[in-house]
Amino acid sequence: MSSAAPEAVTRAADSLRALGRVGALVGVIAPLTVDELSTRLAWPTTGAADLLLADRYGSEAAVIDETGFHHLTSSTRTLEDVGDVGDVAIGTLEELWRRGVDSREVLLLIDGLSGLTHRSASVLGADVTTLQFNAGRESTPAGVVSVTGGSARLRQVLADQLRRRRRRSLPEVVARSGWSIVVKGFDVEHERVNEALLALANGYVGTSGATLAPNPSQHPWVLATGVYDEDGADTHLLTGPRVFELDGLDTGAGAGAGILQRVLDLRTGVLCELAEGEGGDVVSVRFASLAQPTTSVLRVRCPTGLRVGPALRPPADDSVHDQGRSGTALWIRVAASTGGIAAAATQRRTRGRGRGLVGTSTLDRVAVYASNSDTLPDPATTVDALDRAGSTGFDQLLGQHRRAWARRWEDADIVVEGDDELQLAIRFALFHLMASASDAGEAAVGARGLTGTGYSGHVFWDADVFVLPFLAATHPASARAMLEYRLRRLPAAMNAARAAGRSGARFPWESARTGDDVTPTSARDRSGRIIPILTGQLEEHIVADVSWAACCYVDWSGDDEFALGPGRRILVETARYWASRIHLEPDDSAHINGVIGPDEYHERVDDNAYTNVMARWNLRRAAEADGIDGVDGDEQRHWLELADALVDGYDPDTGIYEQFAGFGRLEPLIIEEVAPRRPIAADLLLGAERVAGAQVIKQADVLLLHHLVPDEVVPGSLEPNLRFYEPRTAHGSSLSPATHASLLARARDFDKALEALRLAARMDLDDLTGSTAGGLHLATMGGLWQALAFGFAGLRPRAGMLHVDPVLPPSWSSLELRVRFRGSKVHLRVEHSYLSIHADRSTAVVVGGTPFSAGPGPLELRRQGPHWEPVT
Amino acid sequence: MSKVIAAVDSSAAMRPVLAMGRAVAVALGASLEVLHVVEDENEEVPAVAQATDAPMRTLSGEPIEVLSSVAAEEDVLAVVLGARDSSSGPHPAGHLAMILAGQTTKPLVVVPPGSHPPEQLHTALVAMKGTPGKARVLRRSIEISARAGLEIVVVHVQDEDSIPSFSDQVQHETEAYAQEFFARHLIGAPQMRLELRIGVPAVEVLRAIESTQAELVAVGWPQTDDPNRGAVAREILDRSPIPILLMAAT
Repeated sequence: MSSAAPEAVTRAADSLRALGRVGALVGVIAPLTVDELSTRLAWPTTGAADLLLADRYGSEAAVIDETGFHHLTSSTRTLEDVGDVGDVAIGTLEELWRRGVDSREVLLLIDGLSGLTHRSASVLGADVTTLQFNAGRESTPAGVVSVTGGSARLRQVLADQLRRRRRRSLPEVVARSGWSIVVKGFDVEHERVNEALLALANGYVGTSGATLAPNPSQHPWVLATGVYDEDGADTHLLTGPRVFELDGLDTGAGAGAGILQRVLDLRTGVLCELAEGEGGDVVSVRFASLAQPTTSVLRVRCPTGLRVGPALRPPADDSVHDQGRSGTALWIRVAASTGGIAAAATQRRTRGRGRGLVGTSTLDRVAVYASNSDTLPDPATTVDALDRAGSTGFDQLLGQHRRAWARRWEDADIVVEGDDELQLAIRFALFHLMASASDAGEAAVGARGLTGTGYSGHVFWDADVFVLPFLAATHPASARAMLEYRLRRLPAAMNAARAAGRSGARFPWESARTGDDVTPTSARDRSGRIIPILTGQLEEHIVADVSWAACCYVDWSGDDEFALGPGRRILVETARYWASRIHLEPDDSAHINGVIGPDEYHERVDDNAYTNVMARWNLRRAAEADGIDGVDGDEQRHWLELADALVDGYDPDTGIYEQFAGFGRLEPLIIEEVAPRRPIAADLLLGAERVAGAQVIKQADVLLLHHLVPDEVVPGSLEPNLRFYEPRTAHGSSLSPATHASLLARARDFDKALEALRLAARMDLDDLTGSTAGGLHLATMGGLWQALAFGFAGLRPRAGMLHVDPVLPPSWSSLELRVRFRGSKVHLRVEHSYLSIHADRSTAVVVGGTPFSAGPGPLELRRQGPHWEPVT
Repeated sequence: MSKVIAAVDSSAAMRPVLAMGRAVAVALGASLEVLHVVEDENEEVPAVAQATDAPMRTLSGEPIEVLSSVAAEEDVLAVVLGARDSSSGPHPAGHLAMILAGQTTKPLVVVPPGSHPPEQLHTALVAMKGTPGKARVLRRSIEISARAGLEIVVVHVQDEDSIPSFSDQVQHETEAYAQEFFARHLIGAPQMRLELRIGVPAVEVLRAIESTQAELVAVGWPQTDDPNRGAVAREILDRSPIPILLMAAT
């Protein structure tokens, strides 16, 4: 609401407060200071939604939320910028967007003769519904509805808004370009893929995006992070009680009717579904609250006669331990071998009243989950939490949830101008990455996160090397929680090292609840043969990968407490492992024999370049650390000597690293030339035995070093190794395209880089692996972010400075990234010859090799040949 | 009670036809009836067939017409018949079965003359080539095999063009791939195992017969007028060492 008269604010205060109490986010613009506005409105700091305040001259703005009164600085415009009240309204809309409210959900009420100018009205556009009261004889701008009746009419409009809220109207989920995943109809064959694509998670609980109507082609699930059942290789994520289902709907799987559309709004993490029910449409919105991660919420508007069924249902895959009722709440517990999942849910249904709502009803269903990997949660606690969530109410929960997502996007969004399809795919990836890791306690991020039951929820290097960097650079608390998962399993890793006759810590290739290795030791391959699985035994680079992840977190976050404490323990114990694993030849050269590198086509190889160089990096980084308790100078010197003696297969004549000892003697088969296409699973095409004897590799191995530890490889060695290894790479791993996209970008081979980038971006959206139904490929998504951040933007944290070295493909007009670097919020915009870096505090950056200080305020640079110079 | 028909003549396949007919009848919980079609009224009923304890029916007429008529009887669950011991000439192996398969929707089990059917069936191989969509035509084979309590192995033969692009961790991917394959193309089908083979379909199916030690292989038979139809099924009929379940695929 914008008013030219301070008294109008006083008169409307009661109505506005009432709207706030029912969850409406209210903004008020008036010719008063924000302190005066706050006093007149007497906004409660608890039990009401946020209030935005702005001086109508644009000189100041503030917000009142559950944490109190806060002046806004970043969102306000200077007095000179403001031409009319419309400009202030536009600024308020921007603030609303930052709080997860789309402009199409905004009703702008302008009370006052000064009104809007035609210019600002056109900026507001058709998105915002604008009513102007007391407009007098001035002409009304296009798109603005002039309302007669003055202040009394204004209060009527506010009262009508209040009625709508009390009727529990459905929030509108707008399909917005670049932000919405839209699935039309119902495809029996594709439905399980859709369940993964549309999954809702909040780092704590993940829920499949299945339609509300049950269908035999679906396999809806609920997962709770880190809650595993059974032991050893059979360990898998437990599934919990389900809440997002209705009885009386028909998906019309045979006829293709029933489900009309699902829209996942990536901006706010809300899934909207439109279905055709008997007696009328069934429209629903649901979300897994990011603000209150144990809470899942559903609102449905449906025909009164629709049978909705119970608020909570048992899982499809696991049996109910016990269940009961407490008041209106149902609760169910599912037990794992240790721990389990409890859920309580309640629902309320009310008949629709008023225009267009006769014959309909609105169902609100709220569920609260509790999970624990060690003990079975108490249902009473869950029911209590449900009471609290229920009293908060749908609108408040939705508002909090939207605001939480908007905050996450503010630190993580990436904008690519010039490729709309890629833009959406990038946001899709970022959304699921953000949703898959909690930011408190420990985060066990399995290969499919919380988007499916695939890979049994086991935690691989995918989490440490591919997912964690994104979180370290955008939401450090989640990266820290992922490291906490490793830290709590450090004793198990040390036991594993001891059992193998080594020192230090040997992290497992596949990890679950205990931190013991849960990699199966045999499996049936796709041709039906039972084959030994050696990765658990031999894919030891995971040890250095975990250490690399810890340092990645430290480098991005600047978390000295972690670096000097638990992070150092990881660094030291992994270094100790390598020191005990390396063997010395009589010529004093150091070797690591009998391993599997990231290229898993070749097993039990000696001196795998990736393993050796990562071990070397691990030893050197640990040796650099000062004042480590229990580590003396001799041990650190020994680490350095071993690191220096460790062979890495580099040939200075060719500039090429040999992937492992003897790789050059294998059959010189170039998969690029013999395969009908790439990517291709070369082991299926040629047979595992043939591939093992040939120079055919699954994914980046040597090249991954240039991506992860570019300072550990010989300068200038990227191009020759890219030229040698890329044609020999089948890209049969879903991790491969994103890594290659990053490196090809660094090598400025843009056509190939974009081809690889798009492949990574579409991996799940197009189900390129055929396995998306089991969950999304989080590591590919993390790799996609790395390709954009490390590859195209050239971001690297080094020695407390953020290095930036952007390269932009000709088809893109700009690339924007948001990261957090050592506590500073950094926004980069890259154009072909221009770079701007906004940081909210002083931040040391190095651009193209030249140091600058960015922030507070913008740093603008222009490319001058190979250098970047400040814009004057 | 439903019955399985074992159609015998004086060919070398007669003994294995009777054995397979008995095994199929047991598996399906049906009775066995031996059918002898005589084209010449003076033709004698083979002694081996006479010696069986199953009821026997002798009918005269053109074999394909008689068999087609019998197969259409309501209580007939399946027909078991033999293949001639020759892969060339005007009546190659399975010639009669293929004509019959074009006329009936009942399952036909074609028994090679040199095969040795066990008393009890354990494993059925369901062969499938090409796009997964064709899995639907084999659904009945799978259901019949499941009803018989057999372990079912679906062999999906792909060519180079349809090889999956990605294969990450085999210990997780194989099962996931199979689960999704069945979920997409055979929703609600009984439990079975999927094996993926790359290469020439008939060759790979024959290899799979050997490696899985199946006692029955099911292949689809397209009921179209295309003279080139069923090339893979023909080759399997010609070369399979075990009985073949021919299912009409309309």
